[in-house]
Amino acid sequence: MARLFERRLTPVDSPLAILATTTTAFLAAMFVTAFLFLSYGASPFQAYIALFHEPFATLRGFGYSLVRASPLALIALGTIVSWRSGFSYLGFEGCFVIGATATGWLALLTAPGARIGPLPFFLFLPLAILFAFAAGGVWAGLVGLVRARLGGNEVLISLMSNYVAIFILQYLVSGPLRAPGSLPETPLLPRATWLPFLLPGTRAHAGILIALAAAGLVWMLLQKMPLGYELVVTGFNPLAARYAGIDVARRLVLAAFFAGGLGALAGMVEVLGSQHRLMDGISGGVGFVGIIVALLSRLNPLAVIPTALLYGGMSVGADAMQRRVSIPSSITFILQSLAVLLVLACDALRYYKVNPSAIWRRTPQTVAGQASK
Amino acid sequence: MVKHTLEMRNIVKRFPGVLANNNANLTIHAGEIHALLGENGAGKSTLMQILYGFHSMDSGEILIDGERVRLGSPKDAIALGIGMVHQEFMLVRRFSVVENTILGLRDGSSPLLDLQRASEKLKDLSNRHGLALDPAAKVESLPIGVQQRVEILKLLYRDARLLILDEPTAVLTPRERNQLFAILRRLREDGRSVVIVTHKLNEIMECADRVTVMRDGQVVATRMIGSTSEQELTRLMVGREVNLRVDKSNQKPGEPILQIKELRVGDETGREKVRGLSLEVRAGEILGIAGVDGNGQSELAEAVMHLREVKSGHVLLNGTDVTRLSVARHRTMGISYVPADRRHVGSVTEMSVADNAILGLQRKYTRSLFRSFVDARESAEALVARFGIRSSGIDLAAGKLSGGNLQKLILGREIMRGSAALVVEHPTRGLDVGAVESVWRELLLARQEGKAILLISTELDELLNLADRIAVMFEGRIMGTVDPAVASVEEIGLMMAGIPAGGMLTTATALMETRHGETL
Repeated sequence: MARLFERRLTPVDSPLAILATTTTAFLAAMFVTAFLFLSYGASPFQAYIALFHEPFATLRGFGYSLVRASPLALIALGTIVSWRSGFSYLGFEGCFVIGATATGWLALLTAPGARIGPLPFFLFLPLAILFAFAAGGVWAGLVGLVRARLGGNEVLISLMSNYVAIFILQYLVSGPLRAPGSLPETPLLPRATWLPFLLPGTRAHAGILIALAAAGLVWMLLQKMPLGYELVVTGFNPLAARYAGIDVARRLVLAAFFAGGLGALAGMVEVLGSQHRLMDGISGGVGFVGIIVALLSRLNPLAVIPTALLYGGMSVGADAMQRRVSIPSSITFILQSLAVLLVLACDALRYYKVNPSAIWRRTPQTVAGQASK
Repeated sequence: MVKHTLEMRNIVKRFPGVLANNNANLTIHAGEIHALLGENGAGKSTLMQILYGFHSMDSGEILIDGERVRLGSPKDAIALGIGMVHQEFMLVRRFSVVENTILGLRDGSSPLLDLQRASEKLKDLSNRHGLALDPAAKVESLPIGVQQRVEILKLLYRDARLLILDEPTAVLTPRERNQLFAILRRLREDGRSVVIVTHKLNEIMECADRVTVMRDGQVVATRMIGSTSEQELTRLMVGREVNLRVDKSNQKPGEPILQIKELRVGDETGREKVRGLSLEVRAGEILGIAGVDGNGQSELAEAVMHLREVKSGHVLLNGTDVTRLSVARHRTMGISYVPADRRHVGSVTEMSVADNAILGLQRKYTRSLFRSFVDARESAEALVARFGIRSSGIDLAAGKLSGGNLQKLILGREIMRGSAALVVEHPTRGLDVGAVESVWRELLLARQEGKAILLISTELDELLNLADRIAVMFEGRIMGTVDPAVASVEEIGLMMAGIPAGGMLTTATALMETRHGETL
């Protein structure tokens, strides 16, 4: 009896099948979004060309894509560490802000005449990385502690903590760290603290290298190190982890610390590479888009960089699309969100076989089935 | 309604990739107790679920008194007088017996419940069939054996003529089991039919009239109990000769390895589940812990590993107090544990066989900072080979192994750690005969190697076969320790019900009867 959806005996889980379903989902999302383009009287083909041409086929645009991709990738990596350890952290917006704030503050201290004074970049950068990582790590680690020791719900607490972080930054840029002028922002950071630019004539900066290194390290941690094994076991099955002698509470706090640290590095990269100052609203939702990038990468650290580049590029292309075919750039958000929804939904294809012929033959089949009883 | 016979003919049921029932035939007469015997996955549950209207069949027919019937849902089945008692009882624990019984039934057109009238009817039914149930009693206050009777009463209230019982004795004490069999016999005398689905041979020999054996989805034979034997049934069920009478070598136990002194342990709600318990397991000895589930055995095992907080008392390993050391320290110092729940505690089903083989040993298989996959895989291969784990490879997800193979993986891992003491909880629960055989063999081998083994089980057969001593646990205490060579099942059964060995036997029995309101 052919049913429309037939459960597969074993789910298909080869990398090829995963790539195929993900691609199918993405194409399906583009297909659905095409109808939205039509409603603006634009040709979907032209719109998509506009969307992808600038970020991936022009040097300047590609530079921007790299700039947008770096923080996204770092946040996605943080998401991977925490979620695979069974810690559903959603506070990356806050970590980003904390990391940005810590870096900005440190950088301002190295301004000529400030408390620390000028530092050579090769000293400043490791210091900034450590400082931002530690600040974000403690920020998220506290949520981990609440979950591990008191059984608090990390989803709610981490979401709420985003606002706290944002308010802290608001206070600092409108008070103690405010530059003279009308905007709530700090003065420009000393030139010596900026991340070097990579490609002449573009805005691409060394942040993408930091993201690449982080992806390698996260992959190594989760795949190659005993600690990573313990984190993954904790994520899959805390009961089995406890049984195996793994200190589940400590691993949760540690996972939270790593996640927060990576989230904070995203903030650092943004401040030192692109904004060069602290200001209100610096995060702008990166903390959530980064989670989407992690989901789309199926929590695989090696898939993060290409996925982040795709999403970062799409946000660059959205502006070009608005200019060229006058379609609101917010449609890109719809496309990005649809892609995630469909990627998650397409997972069903790995568990179920579809028999399209069943659609036509459905009614007579059912009757025959009943008659045989 | 089933008056004379129920026939299932040429039943075929296919699940994707599996032929669960392959032309299965089954005939049940009114007034008989019919056993359906088979290993896990033999198709007996599927066949019964078809009869109960839970699954549809792909082809075949069901006839009641020669007439073809259609069973589209459990509702159809109950209307035809077919009812089922599931292994997990479907009772609302906070409701009374009568409320549970009438749940889902509409009595006439009245919008109001008439509990009074239902209670009267229940009392009547209960007396007639010897169930001895109080309709007003809350289900949560009833012992498990009595809850089972509520399930039977529910079916009788709906006037079931054919009652299907899925593994009915799994949770019962020997005494409750005998009571159940007495009830089943009365149902038989009443002209009703009973089908018990089971893999316990001794119980079939004791209470069934006929037995149908299934293997690989097919019915391989139907026998009158009088004209068959346990040996023949085992052979039919497994398809080969099986020897479950194990030969235990005679060996003198050595020094005490694991000592438990005056241990007190609470459960999540703070109730004390282990109440001042003392035990000693010596090298090369299997100490069996008998008892009905829920008398503190799991809490005991977890407390020994310090997976659970110990209120007071001590656990000693080779004379060293390990009571409050971490789980990891317990493991490195030489206590291994095979937990009862192999899929949720003993293994990580999403991960590969190789990764599960190093669970708890992840810090051992390393080279400098990194995991050593070469060493880990080598040891996983050795484990698979030595314990005969049937798997398509060590990269297969452990969750895809059968229960028996997964258990061998866990048991093997814990044995191969080389610990001096081994705590094993329900090692063969839900396994089929072939797997039971090999798990038992491995446990005896570990005993020969001189390990001190604490074996917690509810299966008396298992304990009588393997243990050197059997301690019976009841409500967190040891009721007594017996030598399996001389102890009788009755004696152990009484202790499992909380009656100390010897003396005061009759008064205690009488007390139990009044307490549970039983007249049997």
